[in-house]
Formats: sequence, C-alpha cells, structure tokens
Amino acid sequence: MAFVQAFLNGLLVGGVYALIASGMALIFGVMRLVNFAHGAFLMLGTYLSYYGWVLLGLNPYFGFPLWGAVLFAFALGVYWLLVRRVMGANDFLQILLTEGISLALIGLAQLLFGADYRQINLPVANRITGFGSLHFSVGYILSFAVSLLLVIALTQFLGRTEMGRAIRAVAQNRTVAPLMGIRVERVSAITFGLGIACAGIAGALLLPIFWTNPTVGGPYTLKSFVIVVLGGMGSVQGAALGGLVLGVAEQFTAYTWADRYAEVVNFIIFLLVLLFRPQGLFGGKA
Amino acid sequence: MRRFVLAVAMVVLGACQQNKPGRIGVITALTGSQQAFGQAHDRGYEIALEEINASGGVLGKPLEIVKYDDQSKADIANQGVSKLVDQDKVSALIGSYSSESTKAIVPLVARRGVPLLMPTATADNVLDNTQGWSFRLCSGATDYANAMLSFFKDVGMPKSVAIVYENTNFGQANGAAMKKAATDAHLPIATEESYTAKSPSYTAMLEKVKEKKPDAIYFASYLLDATSLMHQSRQVDLNPRYFTAAGTGFSTPEFPTAEKGAGKDAEYTFSVTQWMPESKWPGSAEFAKKFEARYGSVPAYHAVQAYTALKVMAEAVKKAGKWDPVAIRDALKATDIPQTTFGPVKFDARGQNLHPVLVTQVQKGKYQIVHPKSEATADPVVPTPKWSER
Repeated sequence: MAFVQAFLNGLLVGGVYALIASGMALIFGVMRLVNFAHGAFLMLGTYLSYYGWVLLGLNPYFGFPLWGAVLFAFALGVYWLLVRRVMGANDFLQILLTEGISLALIGLAQLLFGADYRQINLPVANRITGFGSLHFSVGYILSFAVSLLLVIALTQFLGRTEMGRAIRAVAQNRTVAPLMGIRVERVSAITFGLGIACAGIAGALLLPIFWTNPTVGGPYTLKSFVIVVLGGMGSVQGAALGGLVLGVAEQFTAYTWADRYAEVVNFIIFLLVLLFRPQGLFGGKA
Repeated sequence: MRRFVLAVAMVVLGACQQNKPGRIGVITALTGSQQAFGQAHDRGYEIALEEINASGGVLGKPLEIVKYDDQSKADIANQGVSKLVDQDKVSALIGSYSSESTKAIVPLVARRGVPLLMPTATADNVLDNTQGWSFRLCSGATDYANAMLSFFKDVGMPKSVAIVYENTNFGQANGAAMKKAATDAHLPIATEESYTAKSPSYTAMLEKVKEKKPDAIYFASYLLDATSLMHQSRQVDLNPRYFTAAGTGFSTPEFPTAEKGAGKDAEYTFSVTQWMPESKWPGSAEFAKKFEARYGSVPAYHAVQAYTALKVMAEAVKKAGKWDPVAIRDALKATDIPQTTFGPVKFDARGQNLHPVLVTQVQKGKYQIVHPKSEATADPVVPTPKWSER
C-alpha cells in the first residue's frame, strides 16, 4: 500500500513540476532561449502569493490568476528591456543574460524581503484527507489540480487559438514565420510572458505546502532542465508528462532507496535520456 | 582631473584597507537556508559586543568585530577565512553556524595560525585535525545521543528507534552518534533514513519509516525540514511512542509557532537542547529578557552560544594582554571561567568545553525542560498521543 501511496504522492508533487517545466519548455521551444532565471521568477511568484495572503488576506488558491498576470506583465517588461537583445545571439550570451537576471532578482528579493524564510499557515492546505490507508494533504491535491488544469489550458491555447498557432509557427521556423505575416517579436514577448507566468503561478501554488526565501528557486531551475530534456526539448506536453515522471521517480527513490539520492537519480535519468533518447521520452523527432 | 580623483580614491581606499589588528572575525549564516540560526548568532554577538564595550572594551579600546556571511554554504565560509584573516587581519575567529561550514574552516585557521572558537557546530568531527587552534563551546552529537538515551532510561526504553537525518555533516554526525549510543544500550535500530533538506515532500520516506513500526524516532534536522517532517508525519499517520530530535530545528523558538514553524504539529516532540532561559546559570534570565525586549522573541541556545563565545574570546584577549594569535590561543587553552550565562567554560585537551545537555518537550506551544530531573520545569507527556486522538 505504501508503494501506491509513494506513487500517488509522486504524481501530486510532479503536477507542480509539470507546470514549472511547461513554462520552460515553451520558452525554449519558441525562443530557443535557455532560461536560467526560471527559478528566480518562481521565487517572485511565491513572494507575491505570500504578501497577497499576509497583507490582503488573499488565499493563494484564489489569487494565483492575479499573480500570474502580474508576472506576465513583468516578464513582458524584462523581455523588451533585456531578453530581446540576445534573441538569436549565441547560447553563451543568453545564458549569461538569464543568469544575470536571476542573480539580480535574487539580490533584489533579499534587499526587499530580507533573507529570512517565510511560510504561511493556510488551514485548508494543512488538512489531511484519504480513503482506506491512503492519506493525502489537501494542499498538495489543490496545488496538483490547479497546476494540471493550467497545463491543459496552456496546451489548448497553443493548439486552438490564433495566437497559439502563431507561437507554434515561430517554434517551427523563425525565418519563415514572418513571411506568413507573423510578428515574431510580439510572439516571442508573449511566449516569454506565458512561460514566466507558469513559473510564477507554480511558485504561488507551492507556497501553501512549502516555504520560500530568495534562493528557493534554484533547485527548480535544475529540475526544469531535466524535465525539459525528458519530455523532448521544447515540447509542452512532453514537459508536462516529464514533470509527473520526475515527481514519481523522486518519491520512488525516497521510498525504495533514500531521499538524499533523489537528486542523483534525477541526473542519472537526465544523462540516460541524453545518451539514448535525445529526442525525449515522449517526443517523436526533435 | 580624472586621474587625480582616481589617485585620491586609491590613497583613501588603501588607508581603509590598512593592516588593522585588534579585531575579532565572525563567520555565520546571515542568508540562505540557515538564516534563522545565523540571525540568532548575530543578535547574540551584538548584545555581547555592547556589554563588552559598555564595561570598558578590550585592552583599553572598544572591541570591534568583522562579520562575514557564509550564505549557509561551506565553500563561502572558506572564502570568509581568507577575507577575514588575510585582508582584514583579524587576530581571532568565531564561527561558523553549521557543522558543515565549521568543518570546512578548521584546517584553514590551523594553516594560518589563528585561533577559532566554534559556538554551535555539533558534529564531533569538527574537532579532528585542529592542531590545537580550534575550540568548541557547545556540546556535540555524542552528548546529544547520550542525553536522549538517559532520558529514555527514565521514562521507559523504547523497543526500537528510527534515525532520520538530513544529509550534511550535522545530520550525518548526529545520526551516527545515535546509532552508536543505541547499539551500546542494546536498543534496536528500526531503520536509518537520510534526506536532502530542500526536498518538497518527505512522505515517501516517512511511509517507509512507518512500515518499520519504530517505537521512537530520532530526527537530526534544521528548521524548515523539521516543520515539513512533522506536518507530513501527521499526513502519513506516523505514531511512534516518542518523537525525539537532536536539537537545532526542533529547538528553535520558531518551531512551535504556526507562522514560522510546525505549529500544533510540533506538540509533544522531545528535543535535546543546550540552554533555556530557565537554566540556572547566572545571567540566563537577564539575557533572555534583554533579547526579548530588543527582538521580540525568546532566544534559543544558538543566540546564547554566540553571546558567550564572544565574551569568552574577549576574556582570552584580555588575558593574553596583546592582539597576538598565538597568545590568544594559549589564553583560550588556559580558559577556566566558573560562571558564564552558558555555564562553566573550560576546554579539555581536544579543545572541547564540557557542557551538560537538557531534554525539552513542546507542551502547549512552549518548551519545557523534562530531563534531567534536577532541572525539570514540567513532567514529560508520554506516550505521544496518536494523531487521530489529538
């Protein structure tokens, strides 16, 4: 039974990973940008959600669309100011820039919010529910459910709307897309905004079940890289599935071996996929 | 013109960086995941500094300390030694917070010939290879494990113990110390689990612990993981007779609060501790009062260890009579202060101060001393009520 419990807990954690990684996959797929600042934006999401709860009494499970919108707008600003200048530049410049953005955001957060960690005590998130001998934290279930709905909404948006088609067109071919009347610059900006909003909302949803401090995002940037590779570079559905797989893999490692090896297993998976299935577990051709 | 300004700037900066002896360097975790403990340190140092200077300073001058933030990382603590010793020319060092960071700087201070006083590192390996340059004020992991076993003997030996520890020097040392102490006392070990303190979920690990049906659990955890572990113990309905811990996360003022810790889920947990405001040592109550008036929270032992460390170091400098690292080291070796806020201070041949360990329990959101009997402020509540009956 504990095996089933570990599997289901892995899925619950993986749901949030899926949302974070979908954002990164979108940015990578469309803009060919490796976003080292992903975790830093997630951190901003946690703080928005924290202050929303502390100052305004806004429950993170209701406030997340607002925090997503705030981060979307913020990301547009960052795009026009900075990211736009390295589009099409070599990878090294892009990595330097996004890593720089990450350092700046973390430093700013330490200045504004202090280095102290924060957590909120949301009664509903601390409740336990279950059937039979299976027990779940309601917070994890809520964060999982919202994350998954958002990932589905994102794929629907990409698949069914005009903007989504434009985004996919740019992902397929940056050179031909403008010939079809697509404004690549605008599509890139919106893509970046959406990707960052995913990270930020994931942060907002993590807060009730976790904690935050200015450096909370680092491990999630790394996990996202693993997931994006796992799901097939740049595939949003792939990243969503990859997130679930990674969540389950982590919990299984903790259950059968030891929690401290969870990260080791992550990176072993990462290397194996790169070696034997570089197109990703779920992708066809890259 | 520009060249002129540059020249002036260089002269001024040069003057600032002049070799300025007569200071004590302090390394601690002011940011990063152990910030709560580094902040406690920082406050302890500030209060001690103020008191030392109010009573005339050291060697006729106000005492100055230079702080360095190790960001809760051992490699940054390493850089702190070169910054403080090579650039700032401090004559003595205190630090760092964690066992991991402290272990990293011990060989560096020995190489540079600067004495180090360790206020809080509990892993016993920080006293390896000190070459006589490092001294430890607090008790160590072995003392913790022995204190907990002595408590078990009082309230009824559990049938087995599960050891769950975070996977850095602090957790590993305390896990190993408990394993040895339990084996020596013929207490079966149900399971040993180690984890990474930043994991988002420990439920799978706790499920595994639950399957082994341990009668007691011994955690070695920092604060954020201690909080998650207790919330998730409730989630997986883990019901040992005793939840016990190696201090640290389980003995901070934040831990029993709902805002910054585990809240109600912290209730009934036992932990070792090194000091309480109720401790009988002179100045304990006064220090706690002063701390609370200034910072609005009750101090944990980490703050008083930092406070006492700076005072002990200042005494050593006074006794040395000069700001000379070798003389200060010799003075530390000869230290014999019968009464400090943290009890008597005297270092043995390894540089270890012999300090007694207390056992506390969270009762109605407050820490009560439950062991040893001579210090107890309340009776222990045993066995721990099941989660469903709380």
